[in-house]
Amino acid sequence: MRRPLWIPWRWWRRAAQLLLLLVFLWLFRRTEYTGADQLAGGENIFFRLDPLAGAAAMLAARQFIALFWPALALVALTLILGRFFCGWVCPLGTLLDYFHRLLRPLAKRTNRLLESRISNSRRLGGADIPVCPGGRHFEGRQECLPHRGEKCRLTAAGRAAKYFLLIAVLTAAAFAFPLVGLVDPFSLLVRGLTFWIDPMLFRGVDACFGWAGEGWAADVLQPFVKKRLLPFRPMVFHLAGLSAAILAVVFALELAARRFWCRYVCPLGAGLGLLARWSLVKRLPAKVCKSCGDCVAACRMGALDPAAGFSPEACNLCMECVDFCPKGIARFTIEIGRKVVSPQCHPERSEGSGANSAEILRSAQDDRRQARPVRLSRRTVLTGIAAGAAMPGIAWAARLGQQRPVPPDLLRPPGAADEPTFLGLCIRCGECMKVCPTNVLQPAIFQSGVEGLFSPRLIPRLIFEQSYCEYACTLCGQVCPTGAIPRLDEEAKHAQPTGKAYFDHNLCLPWAEKTACIRCEEMCPAPDKAIKILNTRKIIGKDGQEVEIQQPYVDRDLCVGCGICESNCTIEGTAGIRVFRVDAADPQTEFLLKPK
Amino acid sequence: MDRREFIEQVAAWSAGLCAATPIFEVGSILAAEEKPKAKPILAVAKGKEYGALVERAMKPLGSMAAFVGKGARVVVKPNIGWDRTPEQAANTHPDVVKAVVQQCLDAGAKQVLVFDRTCNDARRSYSRSGIQAAVESIGDSRAQCVFQDQKKFVPVKIQNGKSINEFSFYKDAMGPACDCYINVPIAKHHVLAKLTLGLKNIMGVIGGNRGEIHKDIHQRIADLNLVVRPQLTIIDATRILLRNGPTGGKLEDVKILHTLIASADMVAADAYATTLFGMKPEELGATVAAAKFGLGEIDLSKVKIVEV
Repeated sequence: MRRPLWIPWRWWRRAAQLLLLLVFLWLFRRTEYTGADQLAGGENIFFRLDPLAGAAAMLAARQFIALFWPALALVALTLILGRFFCGWVCPLGTLLDYFHRLLRPLAKRTNRLLESRISNSRRLGGADIPVCPGGRHFEGRQECLPHRGEKCRLTAAGRAAKYFLLIAVLTAAAFAFPLVGLVDPFSLLVRGLTFWIDPMLFRGVDACFGWAGEGWAADVLQPFVKKRLLPFRPMVFHLAGLSAAILAVVFALELAARRFWCRYVCPLGAGLGLLARWSLVKRLPAKVCKSCGDCVAACRMGALDPAAGFSPEACNLCMECVDFCPKGIARFTIEIGRKVVSPQCHPERSEGSGANSAEILRSAQDDRRQARPVRLSRRTVLTGIAAGAAMPGIAWAARLGQQRPVPPDLLRPPGAADEPTFLGLCIRCGECMKVCPTNVLQPAIFQSGVEGLFSPRLIPRLIFEQSYCEYACTLCGQVCPTGAIPRLDEEAKHAQPTGKAYFDHNLCLPWAEKTACIRCEEMCPAPDKAIKILNTRKIIGKDGQEVEIQQPYVDRDLCVGCGICESNCTIEGTAGIRVFRVDAADPQTEFLLKPK
Repeated sequence: MDRREFIEQVAAWSAGLCAATPIFEVGSILAAEEKPKAKPILAVAKGKEYGALVERAMKPLGSMAAFVGKGARVVVKPNIGWDRTPEQAANTHPDVVKAVVQQCLDAGAKQVLVFDRTCNDARRSYSRSGIQAAVESIGDSRAQCVFQDQKKFVPVKIQNGKSINEFSFYKDAMGPACDCYINVPIAKHHVLAKLTLGLKNIMGVIGGNRGEIHKDIHQRIADLNLVVRPQLTIIDATRILLRNGPTGGKLEDVKILHTLIASADMVAADAYATTLFGMKPEELGATVAAAKFGLGEIDLSKVKIVEV
């Protein structure tokens, strides 16, 4: 393939990365209530492109999910182009590339250290310090740091880690033990952005405007920034710290090696890499020229190895090896039905070090490794399956073999299926929690076991007067990429209550304190009021005057479990009215004392 | 900076910040100095064109210019409390709000702010009530439908309050930030207060835990109304909610009256609006308590009612 318009390939790739990152961030910002009951659509497209999330959800819930058709398109494209998604599309990959640029000054310093070590070693006549597989620095672009981190060898063990993860996650999913959300790159990115970065950004910017005071900044800049760049309000989330830490680790790994996450950990990358084995796009030459290792040093994915040659499972088509090939022979090409003729390496290949014993050994290994372009051993596959299969058992053993009862106050979003199906379908992407206008959706911690980590639940009283399920809102079902929260219209949503409200007569003011209140009735959105007045009593108040007290009850046939009553309950601390699961065993007797 | 100096500075700054926290004092003067005034005028306008209705209702009161001076900063406070559509009669009708805002602009207002402390999500309430779109459709940058800023709720002492002595209020609705406060509630049912009218519309400019007001709702609403005193009250009774208020949701509970009530006397306006529900003004505890404070005239025979 020629470079189009004489613009180097890497510039095309960078443009695509930037553009798609902006699209991703724009969609992230659009995942919010903006005045219309129906979202524009496509807010969840990155998740629906994700074949790993799709496969895991389908395996765990044992159903085909048609929402994932874009993932099939990605699979097809990967079979043609290879792992292009990781290099050109993936927003996490792009952010890691940008983060690497930030690290460059650091890399330069380390490189200088390295160089002095090499020259010292040479001066003293010591053995070669392995620096780069090509035996030299990538000229002018001192980016050797990653190779140093790997000791310049692509270790099979490291490569195998992501396959192990992929196989374990999929096997566990097949055993109805959903883990994909913990390692899926989009899930952990969106969770980190939603739970941590977005609230932090809002508060930070808001504080700056607070200091700036009145004037131009407040009049012109603030409305623009608040309307266009910031979320409507700073949200509050459980597990914000953990989400931030996971994301921070992914980025910190960049210090160890360039695109460390993508090379060694990302199970989605592993899956796409497996497909790329059969991709039609091939890199030529398939081996690394003996006299030159520039491409090896340029490769951010470690896809080029002097011994093993090119591995399509690692290559994310960043095109830097093409752009920086000193002889201009490296290229990617689509060859169908024709034998690929590798261009000759440099005629002067015997120049330089010459054929020593190590090199003979190396070329002997070449052919053997070439036969296995995907470094996926039988051992990796088997241990992956074993680990995935063992996980439900370990979790079962951890709770001493007992069936964990679902906590009665673990409210799932409207329309969610039974607990195992819901957890299987949910990929923990955080989209529902991002879009929820009232912040009532929160990630579960261990309320439904370790397998329920990060799955959404409603906590009506989390934020006083603010967090409850908005009666007419159906946004969570609109952004859910797997249908774990089904797309419902308003009427269908009310037909599937999230729970039912119960009064606690020890706390409720008109019952316990003989004080007028009835705030819950005021707030109840059911057109016929699910909270009704049981009796109106006249009592003598503190100041000797007659006071009318209305004592409420819940008509649970009308209650949709939105929790606005619980959220708005006048008393401090635990509310006098609480919402419990529809299937909770008689909460009236189990949790609350009955009225006399 | 040594330790001693550090501690001294922290102490000094903290003390300074504490001292700087504003507490608005509403003296006893306000209520005590109410003098018997001339007979308050109350305009009742009927018609299906709500935009023109506002103008008609204002005529007996001497047009909007009598209330809004040139360069005035006006607050128009409708009820935007609920995520409901206009025909469900839970919020003030957007056409009424738009006409009021338009008249303020025509009278030469420098700024017209429209806001409410919503009960449902603010974005949803502003949007589905149609009020945000109505204000924006005027296309005048002086008129803005804004979301409340949590930082602008400030504690206010209510010295004459009988049931509460202090509560937080929205800064922009009071004192130096607001020259003219126009109260534009909708008339509807409320199980505790019986009806929610002009006096109860104050709930949209107070902060804190509004449930506290419910413990002694009639007296506390009157207490709160000692702080924010609307220059003009226009009660939207174009359609009223008879049952299941204040949220509503069923069209069977809505009665269409095509009526607006306008008066500078909020108590008189509330008293008249009560009669639309077939009730006597004295049945509403809040109106009675407010009348006792001298906030207005509850006896409709002492009010000049002009039907237009």
